[in-house]
Amino acid sequence: MSYQVKRSIVSIVLGIIVLGAYCIYAYSNYQSGAIAANDLKTWASTMLVFIGIGIFATIVIQIVFHILLSVGIAVQEKLRNGTVDESTINKTIKAEMVTDEMDKLIELKSMRIGFVVAGIGFVAALVSLILNYSPVVMINIMFVSFSAGSIFEGFTQIYFYRTGV
Amino acid sequence: MAKKILNNIRKLRFFANEMTQQELAEKIGASRQTIIAIEAGKYSPSLELAFRIAEAFGVSIGEVFSHEE
Repeated sequence: MSYQVKRSIVSIVLGIIVLGAYCIYAYSNYQSGAIAANDLKTWASTMLVFIGIGIFATIVIQIVFHILLSVGIAVQEKLRNGTVDESTINKTIKAEMVTDEMDKLIELKSMRIGFVVAGIGFVAALVSLILNYSPVVMINIMFVSFSAGSIFEGFTQIYFYRTGV
Repeated sequence: MAKKILNNIRKLRFFANEMTQQELAEKIGASRQTIIAIEAGKYSPSLELAFRIAEAFGVSIGEVFSHEE
């Protein structure tokens, strides 16, 4: 499994966890009456907090991921050669992380899929307003669709790495 | 009808002292993943990358890539 595929899997898992946490938090608060159905300000601040959590978690997970990757490569080197040479490990890590034109093409194509999902969500959010749903439903649809777009982007990347582009 | 692009990279690597995919990737500034995809016909490289591959083996681009008839 390549570095890019591993990175995509980490990003998907993180996206699903953050989205799931938001859905559970929002639904339980809505059901208990802690957040009023028409209190847009509280909903907006809740979403902003979760966006912040998502960004922070992404940074932390990426750091942990790179540490684990380095450890994994060192262990592989140790098993293969019996010694751990720092320059060899650095060289292997550098080689693993090379991004070229295929990576950029896959990134662009998957980003397009992500935007399509987010775009569909945006249209659905507007339709919900026309159908007389509250603005809270609209912003929730938008939040979920943008998060889903990001998750779909990760799945699409894995698909292109597996099947080719 | 779209023609498939074929390549002789595996053969050329063999004749270049069994050059590994990683060695070729390093020579042309690409990732090993890209070399694997090109060899398997899952990715058609840009003209620039195709020229770099040909230069790495010291052959013309026509000797590396061909069109399926």
